[in-house]
Amino acid sequence: MSDIAPEMWEKLPPADAAAVAAAPSLTYWQDVRRRLWANKPAVVSIAFIILLILAAVFGPLFSPFTYADQNLRLANIPPAFETYAVPSGQGTTTRFFLNASNFNLYEVDDTGHVLGLLRGERKDMLKKSQAFIFGDTTLTLDYSSLPAKLVAADGATIAPSGWSWNRTYLFGTDQLGRDVLVRQLYGARISLTVAFVATLVNFFIGIFYGGLAGYIGGRTDAIMMRVVEIIATIPLTLYVVLLMVVFDSGLYSIIIAIGSVFWVDMARIVRGQILSLKSQDYVAAARTMGASTSRILTRHLLPNSIGPIIVTLTMLIPSAIFIESFMSFIGLGVTPPLASWGTLTSEAVETMRAYPHQLFFPAAAISLTMFAFNFLGDGLRDALDPRFRK
Amino acid sequence: MPAYILQRLGMMAITLWAIVTLTFFLMHAVPGGPFVSERMLAPEIEAALNAKYGLDQPIWAQYLSYLRGIITLDLGPSFKYPGVSINTMIATGLPVTLRTGLLAVIAVVALGVPLGIVAALNRNKWPDTTVMLIATIGVAIPSYVIATVTLYIFALRLGWVPTFGLDDWRGYILPVFALSGFWISFVARLTRSSLLETFEQDFMTTARAKGLRPGQVLFKHGLRNSLIPVVTILGPVVANLITGSFVIEQIFALPGIGRQFVLSITNRDYTAIMGITIFYAAALMVMILIVDLLYAVLDPRIKLTSAAA
Repeated sequence: MSDIAPEMWEKLPPADAAAVAAAPSLTYWQDVRRRLWANKPAVVSIAFIILLILAAVFGPLFSPFTYADQNLRLANIPPAFETYAVPSGQGTTTRFFLNASNFNLYEVDDTGHVLGLLRGERKDMLKKSQAFIFGDTTLTLDYSSLPAKLVAADGATIAPSGWSWNRTYLFGTDQLGRDVLVRQLYGARISLTVAFVATLVNFFIGIFYGGLAGYIGGRTDAIMMRVVEIIATIPLTLYVVLLMVVFDSGLYSIIIAIGSVFWVDMARIVRGQILSLKSQDYVAAARTMGASTSRILTRHLLPNSIGPIIVTLTMLIPSAIFIESFMSFIGLGVTPPLASWGTLTSEAVETMRAYPHQLFFPAAAISLTMFAFNFLGDGLRDALDPRFRK
Repeated sequence: MPAYILQRLGMMAITLWAIVTLTFFLMHAVPGGPFVSERMLAPEIEAALNAKYGLDQPIWAQYLSYLRGIITLDLGPSFKYPGVSINTMIATGLPVTLRTGLLAVIAVVALGVPLGIVAALNRNKWPDTTVMLIATIGVAIPSYVIATVTLYIFALRLGWVPTFGLDDWRGYILPVFALSGFWISFVARLTRSSLLETFEQDFMTTARAKGLRPGQVLFKHGLRNSLIPVVTILGPVVANLITGSFVIEQIFALPGIGRQFVLSITNRDYTAIMGITIFYAAALMVMILIVDLLYAVLDPRIKLTSAAA
């Protein structure tokens, strides 16, 4: 009570007081919506999730590349680079950038589109250098000491003339020259598919199982909950690992694996809710009026426990997304060339010394998505059940 | 109490049996035998291998002999490394996993609880906002992302810690941090909210009214009553640290059980997968039992009876 601001105790002018007193009363759902909209992180999260869904569904359509298109000549290109401009005779200049990790020069245009790999002369293996001829200028790429540098004919080091974003591959390319952005978008598709399936499974199996156990009660409840207890003793990750070993990697297997064990928490929550609700008077009233079991369950008990159900759903989505990326990371997820955020990260770990951009983007994508779902879950919990507010 | 422990042990035995049975039949449902590989084996050799490992017997006989093995604590031989038993595999990996896991649990308690206290004491002021911001980030970022990104920053870029191995104490920092990051954040959040709830209780007002020093009020009355939910989640913490270690041990190349497990998965070493899963399950159930018993010791109001189970 101590945190009521002093100005809150001030007397309102009569007109305002009348407005406050006459404010229309809100239904439960109107109130929920109002509270949710007042929660900034939750609103931003909803916007992010909608954008992510749109990007995952339509994004790949706008790209000339697919997740499997390889271009080994343009492998490991960063998302931003320092460009050099060299006169190449007849008043033209050639723009290019130096990939400091694989000592290749790539030609770019002045807006940052990657045109291709520049061919140099034979590499001088002994001096660790390679000559490149542009019209009448000759440059030498000297990589005998790191970082590699470009040297003009008179021995002076050439400084980069500018800096540019990569317009062809916005997020760069991976070690096989595949577009990282497109692969990320496909990763988003996979994560969202998994999230969707986990939600469906929770919604149908979890609610059905928990609702039935809670409603019937007695011995049936005891046995059903023992089964849940046995399943819940081991972390779900272990089951998913076992199932993935049996099914062999692939998108469908991971969906089946996650779906087959992911309803346990929901079943417990729903059972608890039903158990506490079914002794309420209105249930007894409905039964006296001759309502059938299924009617009592679907029209009385479930609608009244919808709050915790929705909260649990949003809390389970990030953990489903996490398990998929985790499985993919340890090599049990989707099969190449399909990309998931987990496989993208684990592939990037091998090359992160030279090409950190390959690690950064998938790591950021999964983290942001997890943030969004977590904030949304917190927001929904606060909005649906004000008692939880802290 | 003894009756309660007995009942719990009985339940554990049933659960373990269910898990053994499940893993056994799952692993035998895998298409192709354990010796199917790119190299074609001569039929005689395959028959000899099958006979050596008892795979020529009917499935129920194999199942019974596997169960017999479990009871005598023998998890059987590895199919991929001749002469290596699963017991040795676990025994070699256990010290590493145990050490990092224990350090991670210590980090969770030693960092998570104080952070939560600081946040609760400074409610809605900057320390609270900072802790909650960090905790929110920590809960959302997957452990393997923390591991890889910190590895890149602190080991590759700054060179403060080695990139792999446990040769000196600095090698432990990143794995333990990556392993415990989520749970430090989670425990900080939990401690904060539980402490705030306790602050509103009448006995706290009484304690303050009696004129106790703030430290006494906080530690003797506040903290003791708000740590119960924290103790409760220590069971799941252990479970999570175990599964988290698969990927952490792989990233940091630590020779623990988690890495062994991931390796067995990639090698399709079915007996190893089975054995390590069962080991994990057993270890986990023992941990959860210990936590439950601890719970009753900390809070005398909780009585462990068979009915409560």
